[in-house]
Amino acid sequence: MSGKAILTLDSNKLSVHEVNLAIRKAAKDGIKTVELLNPMARHNLGVAITDPIHLVYKGDVGYYAVSLSDQVSAEIHGSAGWGIGDNLIRGEIVVHGNAATAAAPSLRGGTVVVKGSVGPRSAIGLKSGELIVGGGAGYMTGFFMQKGRIVICGDTGDAIGDSMYQGAIYVGGRIGSVGSGCRFVDIAGPERDELFATLERYKIKAPKAFQKVESDRSLWHFDKKEFEVWKDVL
Amino acid sequence: MEGRPLKDANFSGIWSPETIEAIQEKADLGRYQIRGQATKRRDLPSFDDLVFVPAGLSRMPLEGYRERCDTKVTIGEGRVKRPLVLDRPIMIAGMSFGALSVNAKRALGRAATKCGISTCTGDGGMHPEERANSAKLVYQYLPSRYGLTPYDMRKADMIEVVCGQGAKPGTGGVLLGTKVSAEVARMRDLPEGVDQRTPSRHPDWMGADDLPVKIQQIREAVDYEVPVSVKVGASRIADDIKLIARAGVDAIVFDGMEGGTAASPTIQLDHTGIPTIAAIAEAAESLRDMGLKEDIKLIVGGGIRNGADAAKCIALGADVVYIGTAALIALGCHRPIHVEDYHRMGTTPYECNHCHTGLCPVGITTQYPKLIERLDPDEGAERVANFLNAMTMEIQLFARACGKNRVHDLDGNDMRSLTIEASMMTGVPMVGLNGRVPAWRTY
Ligand SMILES: Cc1cc2nc3c(=O)[nH]c(=O)nc-3n(C[C@H](O)[C@H](O)[C@H](O)COP(=O)(O)O)c2cc1C
Ligand code: SF4
Repeated sequence: MSGKAILTLDSNKLSVHEVNLAIRKAAKDGIKTVELLNPMARHNLGVAITDPIHLVYKGDVGYYAVSLSDQVSAEIHGSAGWGIGDNLIRGEIVVHGNAATAAAPSLRGGTVVVKGSVGPRSAIGLKSGELIVGGGAGYMTGFFMQKGRIVICGDTGDAIGDSMYQGAIYVGGRIGSVGSGCRFVDIAGPERDELFATLERYKIKAPKAFQKVESDRSLWHFDKKEFEVWKDVL
Repeated sequence: MEGRPLKDANFSGIWSPETIEAIQEKADLGRYQIRGQATKRRDLPSFDDLVFVPAGLSRMPLEGYRERCDTKVTIGEGRVKRPLVLDRPIMIAGMSFGALSVNAKRALGRAATKCGISTCTGDGGMHPEERANSAKLVYQYLPSRYGLTPYDMRKADMIEVVCGQGAKPGTGGVLLGTKVSAEVARMRDLPEGVDQRTPSRHPDWMGADDLPVKIQQIREAVDYEVPVSVKVGASRIADDIKLIARAGVDAIVFDGMEGGTAASPTIQLDHTGIPTIAAIAEAAESLRDMGLKEDIKLIVGGGIRNGADAAKCIALGADVVYIGTAALIALGCHRPIHVEDYHRMGTTPYECNHCHTGLCPVGITTQYPKLIERLDPDEGAERVANFLNAMTMEIQLFARACGKNRVHDLDGNDMRSLTIEASMMTGVPMVGLNGRVPAWRTY
């Protein structure tokens, strides 16, 4: 244990590999926080960090920041490129700006919060955990979602939740369209209260109300002859 | 085929019994047909269109059993900290736990370990039994991302990024609900018994421009320890190979349209992709064009049945052959035991393609405990290892006969084409012409 609480790295002066090695070593050494200066939208900063640590990115990050990681919390003081939080197992990532295409892909757990908006194809194959978005979300968000939840305070593009197996998508704004195999369901009182409490915790302005989308299970089995549904998904 | 006349029937070439049955099945199901195994087309160009022309006097053969003939291949040598060393130029192809039973995984792992080669997880995550039984394990990184963790990535001996497979290029995976057992469902985070489909594209990258960033992420995750490959189905193979090579991988895997599957749309098996023999020639040429043929290993699968096919692949430019179906057949697929169970599914040994049903009579492609028990992993491992030994000896036999003391020294000039098509596709000289350009008008 170094006993040091904060390690500051200047990503401008290090290679991507050196940044990742330094973060992993810091986490192993029990350092609480790594502050990353000048991320300058470089890709793969913070990959496979699996010991507990808090990461503070002082600027925009590129593709796959805080990806393939476990037990990590992170703040991104800027916007994020594609695949922020890819495959997170446990932890929490807060992006203060926007996130590009494919935010929070295939999360296995934990929470990814984007204060701004996320691009299309976000949270595909979500396996658990949650994506919370202060703004809107692009088309096909929640495609093939398996479990967990997606909360979108703003508007969405088309085909939200297409082919989702399980889990729930909550949308505060206008929905472009829902995907195949989805339906709208009512939200229970305690569920709504918990949603609003979650948004308050992240200081995200809540919409007046949410619509909830979940799987109607029509795509769960190939023996269904509902061609109207299948023709769009196959 | 009940009710079909037995002989002397005047069947139509267009409206054949198979075509009629297919239409009637679709009329019944309201969807396309799905099945396992591979295309059954008989009109594809094949490895049989090539023959070896071993040494005589113009070259000297090596003494079988006496003179060494090297078979070793190393993937990622000089590029990663722990390259993958294969004692023979063969890998067991990616076949998921879910498609395969745990006993099949155990058996393949033990056989591969005995023979110093690798197995591959396939989709659905790394089963602990597979890791325990296979000394060299390739971990697939797929669009589904089922079971994916950085912990398992670090346990792998190579990472294979899957962008497609020969049986169904351009589409995602299918696993019917009869095989989505409680354990499979847990490993894949799915509801038990669901007919699982997976996306055809990765969730977080799109085209060739993103691939180098993805490869860098994977290399970071495994700390540059083990090699990284990309797998595609052979279709637009010449261009795909160039795009993958440019992304900075250690190996490229592809299988031709003959490639096996546990479940795919039948129509796709027969009508997508290109044959393996044609694809290798294109792929090897792409790597040569880029000056990367020595650096990036080419792993080729799709319909490889024996050491002759494998040796021909190598002579055409493959470094390693990738076998799925042949390994399953060695394990007992199509074995004429429990024949009544084949009949119950409306099939017989030798024509069975019912892997998708989960009712495999020999315990290979099933998740039902009673059927899994029928496959003894030790006996299965021995049979597969025997087959791998035979196949290796066959590859060496061709290399020695051609006077080569490394199987990888086999090349196109060690063969001749029996058909004009094979010659045109592969560049291997046509038999009987002795390198002449045909001059039809001289007679
Ligand atoms: C039972 C079975 C399951 C398979 N599962 C996968 C898979 O999970 N991922 C994959 O990339 N390919 C999968 N394949 C394709 C193989 O990896 C390989 O490309 C193919 O089997 C090679 O052709 P061959 O069977 O003619 O040897 C599977 C094939 C079979 C027969
Ligand atoms: S015997 Fe089993 S593995 Fe072989 S084709 Fe039939 S179902 Fe598939």
